[in-house]
Amino acid sequence: MTTQDILVSEGLAVGHGGNVIMTSIDFRLAPGRILAIVGPSGCGKSTLMRSLSGLDLPLGGRSEVLGLDLAVATATEREGTLRRLGFLFQGSALFSSLTLRENVELPMREFLRAPRREIRALAEYKLALVGLADAMDKMPAEISGGMAKRAGIARAMALDPDLIFLDEPSAGLDPLTSGRLDELILKLRDTFGTTIVLVSHEVPSILRIADFCVYLDPDAGRMGAYGPPRDFLAAGSHAKAHAFFSQARIS
Amino acid sequence: MSHAPASPPRARTEVLADGTTVITLGGDWNRQAATPAIAFKGDQVRLVTEQLGDFDSSLPGWIHAHFRQVRRLDLSALPSRLRSLVELAEQSTTTPSPETTGGLLARFGGWGLESSSSWGRAFEHIGDVALGLGRLLIGRARVNWQDFWLQLQTAGVDALPIVALLGFLTGLIMAYVGLIQLRQVGATVYVANLVSLAMTREMGALMTGVIACGRTATSFASQLGSMNVSQETDALRVLGINPVEYLGLPRILAVTLMVPLLSVFATFIGVFGGMIVACAGDLSVSQYLTQVVVAISFRSFLVGFIKSIAFGFIAAWAGCYRGAVAKPSALGVGEAATSAAVLGITLIVISDALFAVIFNLFNF
Ligand SMILES: Nc1ncnc2c1ncn2[C@@H]1O[C@H](COP(=O)(O)OP(=O)(O)O)[C@@H](O)[C@H]1O
Ligand SMILES: [Mg+2]
Repeated sequence: MTTQDILVSEGLAVGHGGNVIMTSIDFRLAPGRILAIVGPSGCGKSTLMRSLSGLDLPLGGRSEVLGLDLAVATATEREGTLRRLGFLFQGSALFSSLTLRENVELPMREFLRAPRREIRALAEYKLALVGLADAMDKMPAEISGGMAKRAGIARAMALDPDLIFLDEPSAGLDPLTSGRLDELILKLRDTFGTTIVLVSHEVPSILRIADFCVYLDPDAGRMGAYGPPRDFLAAGSHAKAHAFFSQARIS
Repeated sequence: MSHAPASPPRARTEVLADGTTVITLGGDWNRQAATPAIAFKGDQVRLVTEQLGDFDSSLPGWIHAHFRQVRRLDLSALPSRLRSLVELAEQSTTTPSPETTGGLLARFGGWGLESSSSWGRAFEHIGDVALGLGRLLIGRARVNWQDFWLQLQTAGVDALPIVALLGFLTGLIMAYVGLIQLRQVGATVYVANLVSLAMTREMGALMTGVIACGRTATSFASQLGSMNVSQETDALRVLGINPVEYLGLPRILAVTLMVPLLSVFATFIGVFGGMIVACAGDLSVSQYLTQVVVAISFRSFLVGFIKSIAFGFIAAWAGCYRGAVAKPSALGVGEAATSAAVLGITLIVISDALFAVIFNLFNF
């Protein structure tokens, strides 16, 4: 069981530049599961994603991603592991001097030994999956925030990674597109067994797609609760997580 | 509500027998009027109103600023509209941010610390570049070759006009100044030696290096700096691509290759510029050219060439380094560009002096 988990976090502490923001993050995630990270804005969800992926080093505790123990890994090992996962940044972080198509092509050009034409076709397919078939030759500055998010998702999927981190993928999307995105996430998981870690504020969507949920409690500065999202709907679960789920459900 | 004449905002303080401070607020509060000053002690405060007129956000703002640290604040006597505005802000305040104290000494201390830690990062960065070059040699570096070709064009070919102009003027000025001196000893023919030697050994490389700092180092710093702002560098790292290798190496290689070529070009143009002045009255063209051929040795050409390679590397590295450590803001990117030019030019002049000492030691 231990070795099979794709993501392991034991008493993990995360933060910026030596400043600890969140501590005691404890959970394990098996492959093919969907994990949602929730909590009030500014509580450290994005920071936690950076640490879980190995982009930043943990400030304490232990964490494993794709079987690599980040606390003892060398820079080269971390680089190799990062290559095997996809990441959508909260601000999309598209390469501003490349078109959307070139953005999706870049990882493939660097890491796939396929002819140009094939790479191009693959990139177009990934962009079509997120509904951007018409905007492939636009520059990132020429599209809306929601479109940038979707292009970032297409880039995160470029190399068919085993593990994808999505930081607020549905923020800025209309309900229809957001619903399609949920479907895409489920389909990725069901077809390719992709593990997905996402930050979201949308309770209905979390209830629909997530298997597990991490609630971060900013007042305590630590992980508040971990479990299947449905558990938090019941009274008697973690009070703040319950408030988060039930409040958003009413609205 | 402009019908009633506005009365100035008031705040009256009185302390009750039980230690509670009661603050009575009145008058019209708006952002244009100066807010009253108050002084109070203790952590039990009650706010009441008396003839309170119109108010805008300046009143709840004033209350927030003065009383947010009071432990027992009684707002129950305030009009409900005002109370809810104050309470809304109260909820979101967890810890008041300390006002930045900036004594002169403390700031100098901070500056010293900052610059000493930035030297650490500079060495770290140059180490990364060296490591990347090593990996490139064994064919394991991931480099954006598109950027390389692009920079050959923009940092090299596109710089030809400005390099030509400045090289030409440098030669011209040296010949002009030299002639004035040489006429006094009747040795005007040596102006050719002066100009050609100075251009090959010194000025060709120096001028080109400085131009590279002004044109290229600044542009690299703002390119890479703005990629930091938009997290594009992180997006590369998350692909397992080392940004120093991918973005830095192609730029450094392109410039280190182009600056020596530009420098040779500047040297020729400078010698030509000197000829225009020398042959305007004192020398014939063939006299000048004969002297040039005598004066320039392969050795002095080599001196200039080696220096220009170093200067090209310095200019490109300064740009990449300052861009990589740029603060993530519009201001930070601007600062990165400025400091890249300053750092590049300073290092070029310092290394030029070092080269002079070294070449002198070896009689080069
Ligand atoms: N680059 C950074 N440097 C320092 N502090 C940061 C940085 N980014 C975020 N923070 C701080 O870390 C905390 C958590 O931020 P973040 O993880 O972005 O929150 P969330 O994603 O949950 O909204 C915030 O208090 C924020 O001020
Ligand atoms: Mg965030």
